[in-house]
Amino acid sequence: MDHIVRTFGDRPGRACVRASCLVIFFCLIPALLKAQTPDPVPEMERPVPILTGNAGFFTNVNGGETELVPSITPVLLLPLGDRWLVESRAEFKGEFERGGGTGPYGGKVEQEIDYLQLDYIANRYLTVTAGRFLTPFGIYNERLYPIWIRSLHPTPLIFPLGTGSSDGVMLRGGFSLNPKVNLNYATYFSTLSTMNKFEADRLAGGRVGFFLPGPRIEAGVSFQKELQEERANAFGFHFAWQPAAVPVNLRSEYSRSHDGSGYWIEAAYRLSQVPFWQKALRRTEIVGRGQQLFAGEIDEDEAEEYGLPDVNTRQGDFGLNYYIQDGLKASASYSRRFNSDGNVNIWTVGLAYRFALPLGRVGPQ
Amino acid sequence: MNIRVTILTAVLALASSAYAADPPRKSENDSASIGTPVARSSGEADAMRVQGEQRFRANCGRCHAAPHKFPPRMMATIVRHMRVRATITDEDMRLVLFYMTQ
Repeated sequence: MDHIVRTFGDRPGRACVRASCLVIFFCLIPALLKAQTPDPVPEMERPVPILTGNAGFFTNVNGGETELVPSITPVLLLPLGDRWLVESRAEFKGEFERGGGTGPYGGKVEQEIDYLQLDYIANRYLTVTAGRFLTPFGIYNERLYPIWIRSLHPTPLIFPLGTGSSDGVMLRGGFSLNPKVNLNYATYFSTLSTMNKFEADRLAGGRVGFFLPGPRIEAGVSFQKELQEERANAFGFHFAWQPAAVPVNLRSEYSRSHDGSGYWIEAAYRLSQVPFWQKALRRTEIVGRGQQLFAGEIDEDEAEEYGLPDVNTRQGDFGLNYYIQDGLKASASYSRRFNSDGNVNIWTVGLAYRFALPLGRVGPQ
Repeated sequence: MNIRVTILTAVLALASSAYAADPPRKSENDSASIGTPVARSSGEADAMRVQGEQRFRANCGRCHAAPHKFPPRMMATIVRHMRVRATITDEDMRLVLFYMTQ
């Protein structure tokens, strides 16, 4: 017995520990030395942290009730080394109304953390994301939502279906299949979270899309499986076309889920080719959108919580954007909503501004 | 036993030094980093600029109007952000970065 203890529990054991420490030590050295090695990218091209985002002030008149909506949405981008990026977006949005139609405006300021994620660009085919991220369902949530980007200020009726934020892990990427076709994909798993500002549902899903750079056509499908409550499925389809010859942007989405289904089709036309009043018209964009929502298997309270109409609804939207300067846009829109609760007019007018500030030395432009 | 540990130490020290001294490779197949591509002649630079503008209009113009150009270090961050957000391909990202920083 003593022999066994001596052999396996005494000197050889200590030697094993010592050898293990050495292995760990020498595995760490290269990593530390690599971290100290100057980046091969020249100093003036190395990415710098940025504080960007948008701010806006909109006035909405919905069925005769006026609402003032100031908002600011800061986005922090923190690149680390060659392959890492920390990105975060918060949203602060006021919704101020007159109580009883008279008196001073008052209301609440909503605060949301839309995403707080760590991205690792593994290679040209794959980026790994962990943390809180925008749920990749359709294209509106991830790409068109910021107020300086969207062509019409009111979001589509089906916007709440399948979108929002998720907490978990996502794999995504985009690459060329051949010179005429690019493929992009995103697949994710989200865990249930009830933490304040980090609420998320337990979900799994994905999106795959094809982009044809020549005719500038993009199409894709999204799928989502709820892993809690009704364990419902959601399905989406998106299409976008930006013909090279005409300054038109056509976009469309269709979604179907337990909470409802519907579609929107939008066309935005920049008046840059109109031969008169060039100075003003090249900065002007007119927009039209048609949309329909079919109410789902949810009650009135749930529908209100999700921001969905609880009855079948049709809506037409018309808008006008004037791009005053880079990042500053004036917008106005009119919408007519038809449903069994009563038809209403919705007006919006306001300004949206995009800012970008370096958080470090950038050198000459 | 001591000899074995000494040999192991020496081998690990040599291997780790050799690995750390090896500069990071920027091969075509391992091009996740964001460096502006280098043009070898003015003709090549012009061609890359034209390509970059086309890729910019095809990718970035799908969602938003063209922004003014930012300093290169800001553009490197913005392009990395958009690569993830809009799932832009590696090649498109490099050409857009070249176009936006020239």
